[in-house]
Amino acid sequence: MEAVLSRHFHLPEPPDLKTYGDYRALKAALAQKPADLLDQIGQTALRGYGGAGFPLARKWSAVAADAPRPHYMVINLDETEPGSFKDRKLLYRDPHLIVEAILVGAYIQGSDRAFVFVRGEYAEGAQGLQRAVDEARAAGLVGRNILGSGFSLDIDVHLSAGRYICGEETALLNALEGRRANPRSKPPFPFQQGLWGKPTLINNLETVCQVPGVVLNGVDWFKAQGVNGGEGTKLYSVCGPVKNPGCWELPMGTTARELIYEHAGGLLDGHALTAFLPGGASTAFLLPEHLDASMNFDSVAKLRSRFGTCGIIVLDDQTCPLDFLIAINAFFVRESCGFCTPCRDGLPYAHSILERIEAGQGRPGDREHLLELCAKIAPNSFCAFAPGAVMPMESGLKLFADVIERHIAEGACPWHAVPARRAV
Amino acid sequence: MLNEDERAHLAAHIGHYPEPRAGAIYTLQFLQRKYGHLHNEALREASALCGLSITQLEELVSFYPLLLRRPVGRRVLRICDSIACHMAGAPALLDEAVRLSGVPLGQPSADGAVTVLPHVCLGLCDLAPAALLDEAAHGPLDAAALAALVAPENTGGQ
Repeated sequence: MEAVLSRHFHLPEPPDLKTYGDYRALKAALAQKPADLLDQIGQTALRGYGGAGFPLARKWSAVAADAPRPHYMVINLDETEPGSFKDRKLLYRDPHLIVEAILVGAYIQGSDRAFVFVRGEYAEGAQGLQRAVDEARAAGLVGRNILGSGFSLDIDVHLSAGRYICGEETALLNALEGRRANPRSKPPFPFQQGLWGKPTLINNLETVCQVPGVVLNGVDWFKAQGVNGGEGTKLYSVCGPVKNPGCWELPMGTTARELIYEHAGGLLDGHALTAFLPGGASTAFLLPEHLDASMNFDSVAKLRSRFGTCGIIVLDDQTCPLDFLIAINAFFVRESCGFCTPCRDGLPYAHSILERIEAGQGRPGDREHLLELCAKIAPNSFCAFAPGAVMPMESGLKLFADVIERHIAEGACPWHAVPARRAV
Repeated sequence: MLNEDERAHLAAHIGHYPEPRAGAIYTLQFLQRKYGHLHNEALREASALCGLSITQLEELVSFYPLLLRRPVGRRVLRICDSIACHMAGAPALLDEAVRLSGVPLGQPSADGAVTVLPHVCLGLCDLAPAALLDEAAHGPLDAAALAALVAPENTGGQ
């Protein structure tokens, strides 16, 4: 496998324009027709790495040629989900790759202006990206008539003021427009009416950063990068009680065993694996028996979970699974935008029951009641936030039923040393 | 009060969007960097620049956690308490931060140097337990590393 996204990660500082080198992929792209480039992307079957896994070429071809101008391109760099920190690596380690990828992507899409929506906690990274944009603009790589090609693009770096829901694509549009980040109703979809009512394509950062590699090296090269049924490369990450938490570019399809036990160094001494969330906090648990599964969209979906961003969160045998569920649910309770009742009120209500069980005051039937709540919250909320929030809770309530029933029957946490938690 | 250069800078930024309100977050962040938090006068200045009412601005400030309506210390320490940091000891770290700052979470320390806030996932799961001191990431933190972060020589306290 050839590192394409992480080729500069080893440098002590992110590369400036001189160190980064020529924008070779941009020059190669500008020498071709956008339709031909789009066809190549279609052949790679490259999918969105933000979690949804939608085929990239289909998304990029969705805007009709006669749709009203301007057309906007938005890069979603708002990874705020626990367990997901892959895009941070790209932002902090190779901002010029981002600029070049946006230019190539916008050229293919036919966009008139690009916005990079950066989560507020990555302020230093956003400053580095702005420097890269300014440097590229000074070199004639951003702005009007880029390299004399007739293609023009300006890039706006927008630093958000925080909040997980901003990563939901329609909520992100509201945030960019200076509104509360409440989700919008679909249809119309953003590619029809997005930013300021104009056609807008919203892309995860990692996905777009794959495109220069395809332009330079071709479809067959891209496909050959994967293993175990996967294609291309992926920024995988692992966190939790492991020896070497981190993020690595690896062949798409790498197994969870290799990720957890080789790259992350295995669990801390004396700890054993109970389960893991494969794609960040809003996915369903997988078990040790799934360690040899190929980590790609379809393989993880077959296991009834979600590939998501493939930010693995490890649950070990020294952490109370109920405490783990409470900590994750606390995140979603606090981050619900409050727009619709099942999410705004249902998640805190579930939280109060989980905490009561953990405090040794559980009642028979609590677990079933929680499962019933999950089934009511997920399908009755406005956007994908609540279904994502209940996914780990629902799967945890089923997988760890015996543990939870023990909490209720014994009136205490079997792990005893549960850390104190603050009200959410 | 904003000076003429600052006002011109913000007006230019706001003006490059199709709608002025798109510049509201940038304007509020700018004002917060200048004043430390968004007091009433800051909102009045933002209102004049962005063409939004004070109520519309309050809607934004109360929604986005990185916008601060109440006074904070000169440095703000945000300790992540989401799952990776939680498992790595964030609850104890928050308790220790309260002890070191001598005030409850969210309040400026007596010398006005620092305010400690719990924060949802900072995207630093590989550095758990992690924190942001203003905009700079720190982690993994233990009690000693935390004490060094909030020490007067680091936060400008007494």
